[in-house]
Amino acid sequence: MATSTPVGAFPSPYSIETPPGCEGWEEMYPYHAFFAEARREKDENRFWFWNSMHFPLPMSAFDVACIDSPYQAVGAWQNRVFAVPPAMGIDYRVVNGYIYISGNPVTDPAKIAERAEFFQRRAGYYYSNWDELYARWREKVQALIDEVTNLPVSELPEYEPDEVMFDDARNSAFIDLLDGYQRTLRLGELMWQQHFEFLLLGYGAYATFAELLKSNLPDIPDQHIAQMVAGIDVILFRPDAELRRLARLALASGADAAFVEGRGPAAIEAELVLSEAGRSWLEELEKVKDPWFNMATGDGLSHDYTSWLDDPAIPYASLIGHIAALRAGQQIERPTEEIQRERDRLAHEYRSLLDEQAQGAFDELLKLSRTVFPYVEEHKFYCDYWFLTRWWNKLREFGALLAAHGYLEDSEDIFQLGRHEVAAALDELVLMWATGGEPLGPHHWPPIVARRKQLLARLSEWTPPPALGVTPEAVTDPMTIMLWGVTTQRVKEWARAAGGNGNELIGAAASPGTVEGPARVVRTHGELADVREGEILVCTITSPAWAPIFSKIKAAVTDIGGVMSHAAIVCREYGMPAVVGTGRATSQIRTGQLIRVDGTNGVVTILGDSGA
Amino acid sequence: MSAAETHCVPLAQLRRADAARFGGKSASLGELLAAQVPVPPGFALAADAFTRFLEEAGLAGRVATAVAGLAPGDTERVGAVAKAIGEEMRSAPVPAAVIAEVGRRYAELGRSGEEVAVAVRSSALGEDSEEATFAGQQDSYLWVRGAHEVADAVRDCWVSLYSPQAISYRARLGATAPAAMGVTVQLMVDAALSGVMFTCNPLSGDPSMVAVNASWGLGLAVVGGEVTPDYYLLSKVTGELVRQSISAKEIEYVPGAGGRGAIRVDVDPARREQPCLEREHLDELLELARVVQRHFGSHQDVEWAIDREGRLFVLQSRPVTAVAKPASPPPPTSAIELVMGTFGAGGTAAGGA
Repeated sequence: MATSTPVGAFPSPYSIETPPGCEGWEEMYPYHAFFAEARREKDENRFWFWNSMHFPLPMSAFDVACIDSPYQAVGAWQNRVFAVPPAMGIDYRVVNGYIYISGNPVTDPAKIAERAEFFQRRAGYYYSNWDELYARWREKVQALIDEVTNLPVSELPEYEPDEVMFDDARNSAFIDLLDGYQRTLRLGELMWQQHFEFLLLGYGAYATFAELLKSNLPDIPDQHIAQMVAGIDVILFRPDAELRRLARLALASGADAAFVEGRGPAAIEAELVLSEAGRSWLEELEKVKDPWFNMATGDGLSHDYTSWLDDPAIPYASLIGHIAALRAGQQIERPTEEIQRERDRLAHEYRSLLDEQAQGAFDELLKLSRTVFPYVEEHKFYCDYWFLTRWWNKLREFGALLAAHGYLEDSEDIFQLGRHEVAAALDELVLMWATGGEPLGPHHWPPIVARRKQLLARLSEWTPPPALGVTPEAVTDPMTIMLWGVTTQRVKEWARAAGGNGNELIGAAASPGTVEGPARVVRTHGELADVREGEILVCTITSPAWAPIFSKIKAAVTDIGGVMSHAAIVCREYGMPAVVGTGRATSQIRTGQLIRVDGTNGVVTILGDSGA
Repeated sequence: MSAAETHCVPLAQLRRADAARFGGKSASLGELLAAQVPVPPGFALAADAFTRFLEEAGLAGRVATAVAGLAPGDTERVGAVAKAIGEEMRSAPVPAAVIAEVGRRYAELGRSGEEVAVAVRSSALGEDSEEATFAGQQDSYLWVRGAHEVADAVRDCWVSLYSPQAISYRARLGATAPAAMGVTVQLMVDAALSGVMFTCNPLSGDPSMVAVNASWGLGLAVVGGEVTPDYYLLSKVTGELVRQSISAKEIEYVPGAGGRGAIRVDVDPARREQPCLEREHLDELLELARVVQRHFGSHQDVEWAIDREGRLFVLQSRPVTAVAKPASPPPPTSAIELVMGTFGAGGTAAGGA
């Protein structure tokens, strides 16, 4: 395919070759997810960027549900409900297992004007009734979480119970099983629908506030704008706050001796149950778990990210750190009063630098931004962490059922099948249960699963380019700018870097300061344990659940994300430099290389191989 | 103040209103001293001392005739006139009364019998002559020692008013009043580093920023554009260093032999790419920017120096004239209307596109 015409500074999506040994990767994805010849003329002339923010690794077949559903939902809200004037929804394509996305613009001025009428009326309603609508939203999402948690996965019994015979309303188990699976899928779709109900408008208010400041104070650092808006008591900080409380409690009650550096959760708990103080501490821990351990171990939309409930290694590591700090006489509390004071001081000072006219707009926009921003921060806890970790676990139950009947080797293997393939496997399973015949599934599915695991392992070695297709003159899609931080300037930097020597990466200056140190490239949360004191974290994107390792590292660099991203927020709290949205840090930097992070100017420089 | 009978007064006695007689530089230094800003002590010589010099030397009429009717573009004639006037001025004696006054004020700057080093600079009257002297470039005489030498430097300042560039400039403006200027004499700061600071970002117009240029040695190298200085952009709100670029600073000006005059030397290679300013310096400059801006009520362009003991001094402060204006702010409208603009659904241009 090397004969393809090169377009812009990025490779044509039609010129990307399949890595050796990865032939046939397409079988994991829906028929509509490819750069197909039938769409070539259009697709080749669009700008596509790798959505490493949400999909840092090659996607497994089942996880495609977390592409389809969010893009159905975000498109429906943006294009069909709010009718955002210049932008419809977002298209995605899969290349070697990685997800590239591109917005569909509205260009016809008449159409834009028509949509503007819808948008003004509908978005206006939301902004005017935000608190009330948001309170209802929380209830709706909580109901979805409860339903997915409690949804039964029917066993297929040898004999149906008497009730099926005598109670007209009672179905045979196979109907309940198939219904349960379909309902699980539908609950996922419903959650994604809720996920985007407020998100566009939340980001929109923030972006407008930022624009007002930048047009008047062109050099204002993005992080100061974020600080003025950021919530003080947001839910995302609560799990770590609870851990700090538990650390203090352990120390006060004398249960702290069990928390030894390097010890895992099981060993710690085994020691705790031996003492009275330890047992009462464990009781307190149980109370904290619901809901605060419904954090995910990572921020990607992947079944790999389980919750703290499933894998308490992260909260326990954090407890060990907090207890050690307390013993050393260090202050571990988040200085909320100080943060509050600084937030108000910044707002006061910047306001006083504006003229009277702009001050009026400043006041209104700051108020609106602070009203909407809790949603932007909190929806992650409810949707991305709490709901999704429960949802994946529910699917594991279906996986366990299939494994019990030999259709899979392990419950986890369910994620190697597409959601429609799982439905097909369940169809055959209930058919054979009903007929008592010889199932083919146990011969059919395991080899497919094995092949796909191998494909994913090989595809993860491949480095996707940050963008494909034509370099746009300007990025105008509001969602691309607000959600992904992909601006005209960022794209130009990517394009320049594509032809540069690659020793310098440009991103958003997210937290000021400059440090040098050895890089630690982390692409999955499983690699978090490798992070050593004094290293610089280089990752696709970080998650709030990673908070504990931020006390070890010197700086953070991410592929994707803006100044409101988690890495940026946490680094500012820890006072360490961060550069986010570099587009290619994880593909350009290798673990062990000496790098310099200039969080003031948003530049990362590869200085060489440390110690070499 | 009332110093009509004298030509020479300490800087600390001057205020804004004295600019008409002593020139803008001296008057603004007086203001800064009143605001407790660290300015090297010194004195100011009034413009009438220059007028008296021309009159006593019998040059006033001849000079006026020589420059009258000069075409600004006629560089050959302008050059010849400048040369002739300069020669005549240099051979004319400075009035004895002026020499005596300058000598007395100079002696007050040091301990008895000590010949302290001073900087002698022109202090132009009004905006236009400010630029005219700037065009002349020769307005600073550094590391001057001895009463006699100071008087000579004063005369050199006066001569710079009739440099070819200054003459052309006034001719272009059609200035008819006879040119005159004040002179500022200040204790010399033994500058380890120096530079210029704006109390806003002059490039973007952002009033929340302070922009600093800094290089090694005396300020001549930065002001004259002979080095690419280090550049620092600081947030007034948080003190954060928002941007910086460290340049290779190849040359610097240092005092000449015996602490007389300034000479240009190569910067030791080890120091060239080293940042000039430490965090403490930046904090001090930031605080200085706040004080100076507040005092004058407008954005200022400040020349500063840090001596070998690490003390910061202000050498000059003047209003910033050409500041970029940030993009016009959005018209007054409700927050929701502004947000509509972000989504391309309003009449405003804020964001999104």
